[in-house]
Amino acid sequence: MRDFKAARAPEPTRKWLRLRVRLLAFFFLALLGVALGRAVQLQVYERDKLRGLAQDQYVRQIEIPARRGDIFDRRGTPLAQSVEVDSIWVDPSLLPDVKQAARSLARALKLDAGELHARLGRARRFAWVKRQVTPREVEAVKALKLPGLGFTKEPRRFYPQRELAAHVVGMVGTDGHGLEGLELAFEDELSGQNSRLSGFRDAKGRKLLVSGAPDVFERQGASVTLTIDRHLQYVSEKALARAVEESKAVAGMALVMEPSTGEILAIANHPRFNPNTPAREARAAIRNRAALDAFEPGSTMKAFVVAAALEQKAIQPDQLFFCENGKWLVGRHTIHDTHEYAWLTPQRVLQVSSNICVAKIGQELGRERLVQAYRDFGFGERTGLALPGEGRGSIPFPKAEVSLATQSFGQGMSATAVQLTAAWAALANGGMLMRPYLVSKVVDPDGVVLLENRPTEVRQVVSARTARRVVEMLESVVAKEGTAPRAAMADYRVAGKTGTAQKVDPVARGYSDKRLASFVGMVPAENPRVVILVVVDEPKTDVYGGLVAAPAFKEIATAAMAHLAVPPSREVPLPSTALPVAVQPPPSKAVPVRTVVEVAVSENGEPGAVRVPDVVGHAGREAVTKLLSAALEPQLLGSGRVVSQTPAAGSLVEKGARVTLELATRQ
Amino acid sequence: MKAASSPVRFDALLLGAVLSLVSLGLVMVYSASAVMAQEKLGDSLYFLTRQMVAAGLGVVAMAVGMKVGWRKLARLAYPLLLVTLVLLVLVLIPGIGTTAGGARRWIRLPGFSLQPAEVAKFAWVVYLSYSLAKKREKVATFSVGFLPHLMLCGLLVGLCMLQPDFGSSVLLVFLLFALLFAAGARLSYLVGSVLLALPLAYAAVASSPYRMKRILAFLDPWAHRHDIGYQVAESLMSIGSGGLTGLGLGDGRQKLFFLPEAHTDFIFAIIGEELGLMGVLLLVILYGVVIWRGIRASMAAPETFGTYLGLGLTSIIAFQATVNMCVAMGLLPTKGLTLPFVSYGGTSLVVLMGAAGVLLSLSASSLPVSNRASRTGGDMREVAA
Repeated sequence: MRDFKAARAPEPTRKWLRLRVRLLAFFFLALLGVALGRAVQLQVYERDKLRGLAQDQYVRQIEIPARRGDIFDRRGTPLAQSVEVDSIWVDPSLLPDVKQAARSLARALKLDAGELHARLGRARRFAWVKRQVTPREVEAVKALKLPGLGFTKEPRRFYPQRELAAHVVGMVGTDGHGLEGLELAFEDELSGQNSRLSGFRDAKGRKLLVSGAPDVFERQGASVTLTIDRHLQYVSEKALARAVEESKAVAGMALVMEPSTGEILAIANHPRFNPNTPAREARAAIRNRAALDAFEPGSTMKAFVVAAALEQKAIQPDQLFFCENGKWLVGRHTIHDTHEYAWLTPQRVLQVSSNICVAKIGQELGRERLVQAYRDFGFGERTGLALPGEGRGSIPFPKAEVSLATQSFGQGMSATAVQLTAAWAALANGGMLMRPYLVSKVVDPDGVVLLENRPTEVRQVVSARTARRVVEMLESVVAKEGTAPRAAMADYRVAGKTGTAQKVDPVARGYSDKRLASFVGMVPAENPRVVILVVVDEPKTDVYGGLVAAPAFKEIATAAMAHLAVPPSREVPLPSTALPVAVQPPPSKAVPVRTVVEVAVSENGEPGAVRVPDVVGHAGREAVTKLLSAALEPQLLGSGRVVSQTPAAGSLVEKGARVTLELATRQ
Repeated sequence: MKAASSPVRFDALLLGAVLSLVSLGLVMVYSASAVMAQEKLGDSLYFLTRQMVAAGLGVVAMAVGMKVGWRKLARLAYPLLLVTLVLLVLVLIPGIGTTAGGARRWIRLPGFSLQPAEVAKFAWVVYLSYSLAKKREKVATFSVGFLPHLMLCGLLVGLCMLQPDFGSSVLLVFLLFALLFAAGARLSYLVGSVLLALPLAYAAVASSPYRMKRILAFLDPWAHRHDIGYQVAESLMSIGSGGLTGLGLGDGRQKLFFLPEAHTDFIFAIIGEELGLMGVLLLVILYGVVIWRGIRASMAAPETFGTYLGLGLTSIIAFQATVNMCVAMGLLPTKGLTLPFVSYGGTSLVVLMGAAGVLLSLSASSLPVSNRASRTGGDMREVAA
């Protein structure tokens, strides 16, 4: 080995060579040391800062919007639903040319290119391009093949019945929060709980690695079921629209209430709006005036004056009042009747709607008792309807003699349509005022009932006897001599009252020549199943409620009787009958009205009716299949197996009716 | 050692370090490229498969390097240089050279592509070692020792810059200086030429907006993190995120399209992110072993040619490894140099493993068996070749 080493030519440069090679080796090892030191610096001392920066770009707090609860009518027809639609966003930092991208995106989505460019320029890593787009728009954008684009599902509110009950249901904004109506009133319940998840995303912006997506049902909003009946709502809106359009009026409202329960079956406003395209609608058209706004009701109030006076025995049913031949000076004011009358009974006073005589009845009653009677009928007090901003109406104390007189015929005071209908429903319901309501149930996705409204008695305003007597008197209104023969029906007895109120001119602070024509009535008069109010605002052709509003009332009433399968009245007074004979009230008062409906339906065995199959114990999927094949619409609450179903198996229901299934997983 | 049938002894530590680096590379290439490969090519194994084939070829190249031995390379110095020059010219011809990322660097052949610059590094070291060993003390002279090498280097660098390949050019220049320094060239020439080259380098950088941007991005990656500094900023975030122990193999997030070239030039960032400081330490140790054993073999070489060759080959690995790590950690501007044995890249892997084979043959021939076993504590093994 020694000689081998010697062969290596130990020239003096060899030592230098070894030294230089060593120096280079140290240089390399030193560089490695520098690299390691830098790694320590980055990975130990700057770790948190760098990790934070990194996470900023790939960890996203993903907010999963809760599916908003549906709104149903009383039979389970959806009035408001949530559907998933695409929204498009972009990470502008990944766009090679923002201006160019903005231009092509704007073209594909029909947006303003300049505005979009400005918006993308402002954002660093996230900007909405367009929210709630159509599938076709998604395709168009995907075809652009731009980097940094993201597509996400957002729930969108959809109103399958379009204009129907739009004022009641209200609507939501683009962000999915309630803006109007019940959507606003039940915002908390409907919106549910948005869930937040930490998710990773890659540089292309796709969400990934999201662990444990929450159960769809857990985050869903509660559903709201209304007392509204889709069919009656439709009929009311149609009849109202015709009344408003034929009289060239500016607006109108209609209300249908079940007197025995206080349930509002229909509440219509005109003009209507389509909540699916809210941007196009004027703010004024969206307002649910029927529920919110107070107006001077006019002569429809006379029924309460007569009822209260009879109840207080301030007057006798056969007492005659002198109607001053159409002109009566009260203080410095003159009160007019449309026709000249001399002596009238209370019934005739209502039939011909004499202002002078009802003012005299009001005088008999006195200020305190009149105001008290109005208050007892629910005026001047919010009904507690679940709508924000409900009007209260006002009953100012009538100090002046003329105020007492005008208040007796419904001027110089105000009431909402709901108050008025509810008060009339009290007369129809044997003097018992029921609290009006619009929402029957709010049920969260787990089947827990958050709110349930049941018929609530407010007070016995007048005795059943008095109420009955007044209703009989009111039947004469639709007689030939009455103010509203057009409201009379062929098969049903009708009791009602017209109103033709003068509208206050808000500028001149006096009464204008504008009128509010109305008709409110109940049918069948012997056992009223519905109370219907129709108000036409500022009619131009005719101004009288008997001419303008009564036909709409009749149209709605006819449809309601058919829809509710109410048997015709046994004896209908012909409109020509001079004075209606007081027919004895029917004895079947004890039967709850609702049961009658169900019995009527099942006995008829309509062609559109089906029996609900028994699905209890089935797995969710099987149950759905079974219900769908029976032409029923399943609604699932929870997950697992069916533990209960509503309606029960074997019940006869309408085709397409909603069957609610409660599911649970066995422990 | 002379006969092919005699047992070949080699430095097991060096071999172990190299094979460890190659294995680590395979794992990391897969981890860094799987998602991207799936996304872009529909095959998450695309890069891994190709790298494995290259590693297989590399093992063959290594065996060939060991078998042929370092001595025979002296005779191959000129042919290798000639082949390299031909290849470097060929790659510039459109139709033969393939362009990717704005540079014409690959010659596409059936089944694989060849990167001539990787071959050039090896050939350049072999040639320089041969030439410097032959010229002996004349190395110190300007006309014989310095100028010809500088001119040849200029030619090679010029060809590389036409691709362009800045990283390889820098490496070629560095190799020239390292070997000239070792061979005893006058320091005044070396320093002088560096000083002379500075304005040229500045002009080269300033004339190209792309290189200027790289410098700017290097100086403040955070200020440019959304455009030119993006890569470095993402790389820093990756490495920093790793912390002490890393996020776990395969759990890195930066490779999810945030970090471009995660499986090639910036694979170090993924190692830092997924394996943490421990992974970086392992890498540093492995390269340290390669440098140590390489230099050791070089110094122990029985001929000056062997010494130069060992030093040059070790320098290729050492320079690329340190520069790549420093670039990934923002200490040097982006160059385009891969992490030796680890980064994805077939030509580089095969050539480097071949070079490792030569280093192994050098280590084997430099020390006799009996001495070695006693001096190195038994880290030498005998294997029947």
